[in-house]
Amino acid sequence: MFFETRSLTRAFGGLVAVSKFDISVNEGEIVGLIGPNGAGKSTFFNLVTGVFPPTSGQVVFEEKDITGMKPHRVAALGIGRTFQLNPLFGDFTVLKNVTASFHLHPRSSILDIYFNTRAHRRNEAYIGEESLKVLHLLGLESVEHVLAKNLPHGYQKLLGVARALATRPKLLLLDEPLGGMNPEEIDFTLKALKKTREQGVTILIVEHNMQILDLCDRVVVISFGQKICEGSPKEVREDEQVIRAYFGGEHAA
Amino acid sequence: MKNEASPSTNIQTATAGKRWSAASYGGLLAVLALWPVFYRSTYLMHVLILCFIYVLASVSLRTITVSGQFPLAHGAFMGIGAYIAGMASKWLGWPGWITIPGGALGAMIIGVIIGYPFARLRALYYAMGSLFFGIGVLNFIAAFGKYTGGYSGLMGIHPIFVGSKMPYYYFFLGLTFVSALALYRFEFSRIGDNWKAIAQSHLVASSVGINEGFYRIFAVGVGCFFAGLAGAGYAHYNLVISSSSFSFLATLWLVMYVLVGGIDSFGGPIVGTFILFLVPEMVRDLKYYSPFVSVAVLVLVVYLVPKGLVGLPRLLWPNAGGQRTTGKED
Amino acid sequence: MGQAVATISNIVILSSMYILVALGFAFLFNMLGLLNLAHGAIYMIGAYIAFILIAALGFPFWASLVLATVVVALLGVLLERICFRPFVGDFNRSVMICVALTVLFQTMVNIMAGAKTLALPPIARGVLRFGPVSLSYERIITFVIGFVLLVAFVLFVNKTKWGQQMQAIAQNTDGASLQGISVHKISALASALGCGLAALAGCLMGAFLGIGPFMGDQMLVKALILVILAGIGSIGGIFLAGLLMGALNAVLPLVTNGAASEAVAVAVVVVLLLIRPKGFFGHEA
Repeated sequence: MFFETRSLTRAFGGLVAVSKFDISVNEGEIVGLIGPNGAGKSTFFNLVTGVFPPTSGQVVFEEKDITGMKPHRVAALGIGRTFQLNPLFGDFTVLKNVTASFHLHPRSSILDIYFNTRAHRRNEAYIGEESLKVLHLLGLESVEHVLAKNLPHGYQKLLGVARALATRPKLLLLDEPLGGMNPEEIDFTLKALKKTREQGVTILIVEHNMQILDLCDRVVVISFGQKICEGSPKEVREDEQVIRAYFGGEHAA
Repeated sequence: MKNEASPSTNIQTATAGKRWSAASYGGLLAVLALWPVFYRSTYLMHVLILCFIYVLASVSLRTITVSGQFPLAHGAFMGIGAYIAGMASKWLGWPGWITIPGGALGAMIIGVIIGYPFARLRALYYAMGSLFFGIGVLNFIAAFGKYTGGYSGLMGIHPIFVGSKMPYYYFFLGLTFVSALALYRFEFSRIGDNWKAIAQSHLVASSVGINEGFYRIFAVGVGCFFAGLAGAGYAHYNLVISSSSFSFLATLWLVMYVLVGGIDSFGGPIVGTFILFLVPEMVRDLKYYSPFVSVAVLVLVVYLVPKGLVGLPRLLWPNAGGQRTTGKED
Repeated sequence: MGQAVATISNIVILSSMYILVALGFAFLFNMLGLLNLAHGAIYMIGAYIAFILIAALGFPFWASLVLATVVVALLGVLLERICFRPFVGDFNRSVMICVALTVLFQTMVNIMAGAKTLALPPIARGVLRFGPVSLSYERIITFVIGFVLLVAFVLFVNKTKWGQQMQAIAQNTDGASLQGISVHKISALASALGCGLAALAGCLMGAFLGIGPFMGDQMLVKALILVILAGIGSIGGIFLAGLLMGALNAVLPLVTNGAASEAVAVAVVVVLLLIRPKGFFGHEA
């Protein structure tokens, strides 16, 4: 199994945010993780990437147990992510956001960096080219030299994805990439994600917006920290429990 | 996608801006190197030597802040470097070219040890921890009076040059210049980018593989090394050191030099030290009134150029517009 | 026995003084988010105003005490308006302006009165004896004043309308103003209180230890330590931390020499901080 979690649980005092959560992702898939607000989706990502450790359970990536590993090591193993509230390097330009994120591949040693050796210069040139490619993939080449904090919201979200791609991830975790976007931007983003998958990246998307279902091969539904349904987009759309979770009961959508 | 982005930026003026700063610092360096040829003043030399030492300390303090941490013990690390060098010189008779790097290394090692427990906490706690460490160190030093000279100070440090102040002057000018270059390189390389990344968003930085803890400690180590270097140099110049010169007050003034000059700019501390240290010294004839100059400068900065005096040219000549590759100047 | 009583009275007095100053400092921090580095200078100015009133104008001690406190409280209102309020949230600027204020006050005092330590006349003369124990009236009165003030302060914060408004502002400034609380007025009041308390402590301590232009520096550091140890937002914690600090400062000099006792006190603080960096009682800022 390319990526899976086993009985992943996280409690904050008395509140159980994620409860015995199992999910598995095959290489090359696009899997959607949907659920109403507060269902535990972002907590799940934070657990996987090591922002905080789980109370119990395991996270396994490429057969390796990565439970509780620090975020920078998780990134080095090939998992990239975006964040729901989309923090960025606000004082950097769009281009620099991406080049700074190429920290891992290729990696220059500190000495190489400091003394600007030939190896380092070669790496930096390569990074420059690759960054432009990433910007082009996400339609950001026109705003290359704008400071990230001055970007309109939709562009900022795309920049978040660009940043994550710079880590050359094998698995990309997207946290509400469509949040706050207008229909045109959503359309563009979905197309860009499709292209990304074609380049060999496995994607796990957390989303609140149901439009993501069109993109996914499989969908997992989470509510109150627990998995309540799993299957193809069509199956999930018609599942009673899902409908209740989104529209009925205590949750007003 | 349609280009709805905000107004485009102008990087040509950014380059022009860089050339202008480089030229002015080059000019300053030339003036500093050449004036002794035309004018004799031991007093001016003395004051400038101290100024160079404080420039070194304040620039290195600022370097640590690039990583998002606020070191409130920088004065104490100068003190650590000073005492290591001073004691090695006095009690062991070691020469300056060993004791000065030794003091710097000692300060760096201790800085790293102290920084380590705070590396993964929020930056605020490093500020507080270093504050207390700084206060504690001095008392610690004073307590071991037998070796350190206690409250009255350590005397009898061997000088590194004999005769006039001239060799000292060029030594410190050179030392500060080279150190500034070294620190500049740190900041404007990928290492510095990583620091800035951590400072802006440690979540994002770690998600792209930047090891927060390592880079934070690295910044502290670098900063403390140069603080110790400044202190050790001072010890061999002044030949007498006492713990009171490296108190929290000393750190606070270093912070003032950085803030007044401009914390967002590499040259800020240089400007700040010259204005806040040198100018009051020069108007020493005003005696008790000279601190009012500092007050005036601080008030001026707070109300007119809050980002620091490096912003003054922009205030006076606003036509040099355009943005740069980062939101901060260099 | 006499030594023990003297030590205990030292602890009590020192603690209450530290707490008085720290409370004023904490108030400004909790409510305005302001790290008032000028608090030490305000403490000092209170003592000097009293000194001027007594020495130059011949006022009686008590009147001078009250007058100095009132004057500094008013000064606190002024400072809040022109130096603190405009820079709320801007750490760099507020730090710079506080240093400017400190240097300004210290220089003014230095010019007017010189840097030597001066003596304020004692609050009262004479000693109370009961059995083998003797306690100077000075200490008793200082302690009583300090104690009464602290109790009054706690009552004020918890029971009066203004006090509760202050707490509201400290917890959620925007919410408080939406509720109709005048943040400006209450902040001014808080500043007046904080500065007044510091000035009073300055007079009382000055009567004991003498006054000098730089007496506030050490006090500021102690107040800072107390607030950090207590944790941001906690008033009760300051009392406890103040007691601890008073105890350390009164007891340690008896067992070791001066420098070592300071070092130990700070070492204790550092260790405590390492155990719990967020302070022991407060909620996170």
